[in-house]
Amino acid sequence: MKRPVLTLYCLLVYAFLLAPILVVVGASFNAGNFLTFPPQGLSLRWYVTFFHNDVFMRAIRTSLWVAAMATVISGTIGTMAALYYVQHAGRWKEAVRIAMLAPLLLPEVLTAIALLFFVYAVGIGTTTMIGMVAGHVLITLPFVFINVSASLESFDPSWDMAARSLGADRLTRFRRIMLPLIKPGVIGGALFAFIISFDTFTISFMLKGIGTSTLPIQLFDYLRTNFTPEAAAVSTVSIVLTLVVVIVSEKVLGLRIHRF
Amino acid sequence: MTEVSIERLTKTFGGARAVDGISIRIADGEFISLLGPSGCGKTTTLKMIAGFEEASEGAIRFDGKDVVNVPAEKRDIGMVFQNYALFPHMTVVQNLAFGLEMRKIAKPEMLSRIAEVLDMVQLGGYSDRYPNQLSGGQQQRVALARALVIEPKILLLDEPLANLDAKLREEMRVFIRDLQRRVGITTVYVTHDQAEAMTMSDRVVVMFGGRIAQIGAPSDIYERPENLEVAQFVGQVNLVKGTILGGTITGAAGPGKSRVASVFGEVAVDSRTDHAPGAAVTLSLRPEAIELKTASQGGAQGKVTARYYSGSIIDYRIALDSGETLHVQTFPNIRIAEGDRVSVHAPADGFWLLGAAK
Repeated sequence: MKRPVLTLYCLLVYAFLLAPILVVVGASFNAGNFLTFPPQGLSLRWYVTFFHNDVFMRAIRTSLWVAAMATVISGTIGTMAALYYVQHAGRWKEAVRIAMLAPLLLPEVLTAIALLFFVYAVGIGTTTMIGMVAGHVLITLPFVFINVSASLESFDPSWDMAARSLGADRLTRFRRIMLPLIKPGVIGGALFAFIISFDTFTISFMLKGIGTSTLPIQLFDYLRTNFTPEAAAVSTVSIVLTLVVVIVSEKVLGLRIHRF
Repeated sequence: MTEVSIERLTKTFGGARAVDGISIRIADGEFISLLGPSGCGKTTTLKMIAGFEEASEGAIRFDGKDVVNVPAEKRDIGMVFQNYALFPHMTVVQNLAFGLEMRKIAKPEMLSRIAEVLDMVQLGGYSDRYPNQLSGGQQQRVALARALVIEPKILLLDEPLANLDAKLREEMRVFIRDLQRRVGITTVYVTHDQAEAMTMSDRVVVMFGGRIAQIGAPSDIYERPENLEVAQFVGQVNLVKGTILGGTITGAAGPGKSRVASVFGEVAVDSRTDHAPGAAVTLSLRPEAIELKTASQGGAQGKVTARYYSGSIIDYRIALDSGETLHVQTFPNIRIAEGDRVSVHAPADGFWLLGAAK
């Protein structure tokens, strides 16, 4: 604590940013009928209501399913794109990077409208979830790409050469040498993809199938007509879900970076 | 074991010829160094032998069989890299086991071979360490062990000591050389450090600009350099201007020598090339071949302009009265101070007549 003023300042900024989230979590334990803080008595009644609300339950299942699909697809494509970008793009490197990051640079609403036109033009429509998953893949791809290419940049080509000299073919080298060494980047990217997909509103709003809904959309819908602590309970559950995903992948798959 | 034959090997990048038609025959069990400044094509040559770079032209034969079209993973080579290139997510044993697994060696044999090789590089107790828990020298020994445990046809080393500090580098030179002799493996060693190449190799290949300037035993390269470039790259050298004198040399000096007039008088000098009488030539004279005596004892006269003491030797800079500057190395038992006038003696066999640079 060498600089007390700076430290205090930082703490205040964090408090300012994080307090609303804590307020939402606090409000979810409200015993009263309205979304107020401090809560009027403590109760889990709004959680019970939430878990018995079929509409919300269906929405959360849809969200999880779409996020899982988007994570797997975007994790695979993003990793392959990063491999191409770092190892083979040559003079197209900058062009590839800009193309991969384009979804970050364009306003999401624009991407969403364009995709909506596109899925109808090619006859996919919005009766299935194909369009929505494609949209989620598109907006999560840059995060996988950035993470994986960063870890590939620190991948020493002589590791690959050493493995070759020891007799390993291309597939073995990828499986035994490259993948384990870029794993933190791949998992980090996939986590980002999952969280962003789970949380996104605009893309889902435009591309969701008729009659289906993701959690953020359902919550928005709900808040238009209701103002009960159930909304806070929904938010708290989605925060917890996100945290669980992060912690579990860290423990099971390992996010720690090898120190060379 | 394996004999390697490189024939008119060429590598072009774009239009540039990084390696330009070089031919080397490496005997079974021989230790050969490719020595040259950066960009001379030595690493590209090594990579072509390993199979990491495709040869543009020419042949590489292992025991007579052309391997140019054999991919690196099937060439059966052991390679050691400058930055060790140990797999950071594997322990020492796992690093060593990798190549054996690729060869589908049964577990018991694998373990005994790993133990044997680790013993050879004196890292018996380090099996379960990760590379980042080892020092640079230890990492390089693991890299050596990993290359040797697969019992490859050829061992290739790409500047393996460049990242180590000076003292360790000297220890590792001897260590690698002894190990190579014991295993008896054909070895190609790339370096830009002439002292390294000379102490370790059976023969040294000096390369400039993608071509071979000279191949020979270390003493050949040092004492009888092909041309000015080689002489200057391999150690310190004084260049002395001279003129070829006519007439034949008889007696002990014998044929194959030329008579040359220089500041040091008339000397019979060894050479590989013929020069017409009257031709202006350059003689090389190694700093340690020169003897310094106190003034007025014959020989060329000069003055000490600088003196650098470095323990085992002293370096002197001498300004000759004839205008030339000499670099002299002597043992510290001769005490001559800066500013002293000296007589400079150079024995005839300290000179070497340089050919023109190609």
